[in-house]
Amino acid sequence: MAFPKEIYKALEDIVGKRNISENMGVCETYRCIPSQSSAHYGPSEHWTPLPQAVVLPGSTEEVQNIVRVCNKYGIEFKASTTFWSTMGYIGGDFAIQIDLRRMKSVEIDAKNMIAIVEPYAIAATVQAEAMKVGLNLNIPGVGCSSSALANASSWIAFGPNTISMGSGSENILGMEWVLGGGEVLRTGSLGSGDGWFCGEGPGPSQRGLLRGLFGTAGSTGVCTKMALRLHPWPGPADFPTYGTVPAYKADFGPNFKCYTLCYPNWEAWARSVQYFHESDIVYSGHRQFSMFGRNLKAAMLKIITDPDKQLCDIPALLEDPYIKEQNEKMKLDYQIVIAGFSERDLEYKEKAIDYILEQTGGWKSEMMLEKDMHDYALLYLTRLGHKNLNFVMCGAYEGTFGLSPNVWRTIQVVEEAAALKRKWEVEHTSIAATGGDSAMGSLSGIGGGGATGWEFFTNFDAYDKESVHGTCKFIDGNQEFHNKYSFGPDFCRWNSDVRHMNGYNYTQEEHDEMFSKTPQPWIFAYQYKIREAVNPKNLSGSYLRTVNPEKLK
Amino acid sequence: METIYEKLCAIFGSENVSDAPATLEAFSKDESFATPMRPFFVVKPENAKQVQALVRLANETKTPLVPVSSGAPHFKGDTVPSVPESIIVDLSGMNKIISINRQQRMAIIEPGVTYGQLQEALAKEGMTLSTPLRPKATKSVLTSLLEIEPRLNCLHQFNYTEPLRCVEVTFGDGNQIFTGAAGNGPQDLQKQWELGNWQVHSNGPAMTDMLRMVTQAQGSMGIVTWASLRCELLPTIKKMFLAPAKKSTDLEDFVYKAIWARIGDKLFVMNKAYLASLMGETAEEIAGLKEIMPNWVAAIGISGDILLPEMKVSAQEYDIKEYAKQTGVQLLPKVPGATGDEVLEKSITPSGEAYWKQTAKGAFQDIFFITTLDRTSKFIEAMYSLAITAGYPTEDIGIYIQPQHMGTSVHLEFSLPYNPENAKEAKKVKELYITASREMSKLGGFYARPYDIWSTIQLNKDAQTYEILKKMKNIFDPNNIMNTGKLTLK
Repeated sequence: MAFPKEIYKALEDIVGKRNISENMGVCETYRCIPSQSSAHYGPSEHWTPLPQAVVLPGSTEEVQNIVRVCNKYGIEFKASTTFWSTMGYIGGDFAIQIDLRRMKSVEIDAKNMIAIVEPYAIAATVQAEAMKVGLNLNIPGVGCSSSALANASSWIAFGPNTISMGSGSENILGMEWVLGGGEVLRTGSLGSGDGWFCGEGPGPSQRGLLRGLFGTAGSTGVCTKMALRLHPWPGPADFPTYGTVPAYKADFGPNFKCYTLCYPNWEAWARSVQYFHESDIVYSGHRQFSMFGRNLKAAMLKIITDPDKQLCDIPALLEDPYIKEQNEKMKLDYQIVIAGFSERDLEYKEKAIDYILEQTGGWKSEMMLEKDMHDYALLYLTRLGHKNLNFVMCGAYEGTFGLSPNVWRTIQVVEEAAALKRKWEVEHTSIAATGGDSAMGSLSGIGGGGATGWEFFTNFDAYDKESVHGTCKFIDGNQEFHNKYSFGPDFCRWNSDVRHMNGYNYTQEEHDEMFSKTPQPWIFAYQYKIREAVNPKNLSGSYLRTVNPEKLK
Repeated sequence: METIYEKLCAIFGSENVSDAPATLEAFSKDESFATPMRPFFVVKPENAKQVQALVRLANETKTPLVPVSSGAPHFKGDTVPSVPESIIVDLSGMNKIISINRQQRMAIIEPGVTYGQLQEALAKEGMTLSTPLRPKATKSVLTSLLEIEPRLNCLHQFNYTEPLRCVEVTFGDGNQIFTGAAGNGPQDLQKQWELGNWQVHSNGPAMTDMLRMVTQAQGSMGIVTWASLRCELLPTIKKMFLAPAKKSTDLEDFVYKAIWARIGDKLFVMNKAYLASLMGETAEEIAGLKEIMPNWVAAIGISGDILLPEMKVSAQEYDIKEYAKQTGVQLLPKVPGATGDEVLEKSITPSGEAYWKQTAKGAFQDIFFITTLDRTSKFIEAMYSLAITAGYPTEDIGIYIQPQHMGTSVHLEFSLPYNPENAKEAKKVKELYITASREMSKLGGFYARPYDIWSTIQLNKDAQTYEILKKMKNIFDPNNIMNTGKLTLK
């Protein structure tokens, strides 16, 4: 359907000439490869549809007026901020893209440990402001260059700090939300003008309509402002980085330590994680550098901490006896950061770690205690500013397998999963051979300890169709593995039920067919009813999984 | 044609359906100022299937249902029917502890399980559950959690709903689901356990949060028949220190510092009337304690469990005393009238048969809401001023400040004891309760749990929220049978 001029004019009247465009060159940049992350199918395959226009509102009122216009004319809309993944992009032809980059304010209430942020306040900015007053925030795996608000409101949002700070969902306080129908909902204490400090109630929490295990990915409206709970930062007020690009490092002072803890077997690994779940020792915890594969991680760490080294140095490094030895020792590992709030606090935490290692037969990686390595890993886990490394191996990556309800469940199957990946690495040339096990993820997906991530980084060449298609087949194999052990969808298949491979939305009938067969289909019927209540014209794509309740009668 | 009584007997058996006048009378009122209303029947379900059958029957007959899990006495008006012809769903008989899993630190309980019962069972496994301040003996753990009663350990309140994780709920439309991580698998706990899913994660199960549809809802959305709870390790060493102060504001910096430094598995502030009431066993003792206790006390508990407990407690004790010095307060093992250890034990131990807040004068009326610590003093000043105007003795007002959600907000509670036998005094307190509730709201107090008159006060401030609440109600309880009349404007 063509986009009538009067609609463009109406939108232009809201945001002004400078903040709207239907220029083909501009609109083309708001298309994405249809996958969960940004590189799964490769650029030679399908793309998301071309928006009719791109609008850049500067305030909640402007967003509300845009949504009202969309409702009047039946235009699909999708708001996004830092555009990390496909879920921020439209899925239909008669649609506009809302780009929220003009809304980027950050206010900090230091006493009550609250940040009030707009959509384009990226996590790095919020962190920098927070650190000035001794505070920090949960930065999820997507990294510090992504929107802090979008992470919390619209997707999952767990990362290294989650164990001590809680996940994105757990840190949400008051929210301001332009619902799909055009009304503005302010949740919790914000709704009655009492402040941003509480996001729940009055009575049952309306935020439950908008944010579950993961967010609604922009399918219930546009979150325009949010209060996020902050957490203590007993470090310097600025980020004392040093080193040469891209091998930045940081020294936060003697009260911060970063260790790579290693174990002789998965059982010991899990027992140690349980200790950390049951204590308040850890500030950050992640199995991080296995993202490069457990056969390559020591060599890769040497490369990424040395600006003079390149990927072509891998073969030589793999022959280095010290690297070989260190790599062997850190196969079953994870990284932790401890932060001492005092000398005694740090001493206790150090001793507690020693005790855990003693109980589990674990050890600290020597290589990771080297000053360069230590400071690099410390910066990495604290900032999560190295998303470029996701792509460094072959230009594209995908995270497969995914979430496990707990570490004990994970360790029962992790070696079998690693062997499955290794088989593909060896027998096919479509994915990089990094050692099978490339499981990385947060020590906990929720505050205090619980569900864990075990995302197998799979590196492929997005510009090579064979590599892309081979990777897809590998993921199909992983899904069979997931089915065998009742793990649900593989990470790469999480969004295969909300957008066709060609980038277009699913129809309601297609969703009815998919979700009526789930173990508890009424959950999706309720989501249908919720969508009817908050986005009655269903103008924000098909990310909200729904079943028409009539189909369950 | 079958009568409703016969239909209820078909579901529950006649022994679990009562219309005995004394039983109906008991459920027609509580200890608050809520308007009494006699129910039609009281039913006692034994399982979730019966609950679902009841809800379906109620939808057919448009019969209001009032779920009640805690035993008497009740204090907030939420268990008193607001409309005639209601059926009380007394869940106190569903009191099984379904499972305890030490490895996952999870327990699954039915609605009738009390704190005393659960803590005893958990202790055998080396665990405990965070508690609200000295819960009443008959308090349902599940109700306390669904209603988000403030917990003593705000630093482990990662999620606002901690330590509540997953539930089985029959919504008002008769559909039954599992929430959170439990919603992703088969609707059978045993089968989920076999798959290694221990109902740990509370969010979801999908893109909306079904648990939050039933929290703070006063039973107005559905009936919960089990809940999974995240437990803590049982401390092997525990200590509590007390910081006395003349004014509440003298303690603010210390409390903020303790929260920032993540010290304190228990942390709260009380005035002397509240602390005396908590500690005194008789009215006379309470009166005596009020004479000698400091005006205000901040209580902070530290503990160690299995991981070098002595070293942890020693380090935290040293640090918290340093922070106390830095913020101008003295941290002591005791204050006149109470030691820290005594305060700790009282705080976490369920009340005796008589609820402790009734000891001073026989009855009490609470006013509580959410705010931030730095705003509490303006509410306190206003409350004293209103009490003076109303002729209520300011020295009797108990004040409790409980940090929550890792310290981003606090539960501020005013407790007004009175003699229920003295009609004049009761009337005075009722009037003060109404006036002060309105005034606190005007000053920015947020009634997250809007019981009784607070529902109208809070929702009148926020039209959009009320509109969404009505939509939520229509989704999950389209025939408005669940605790009809609650969470509405009057």
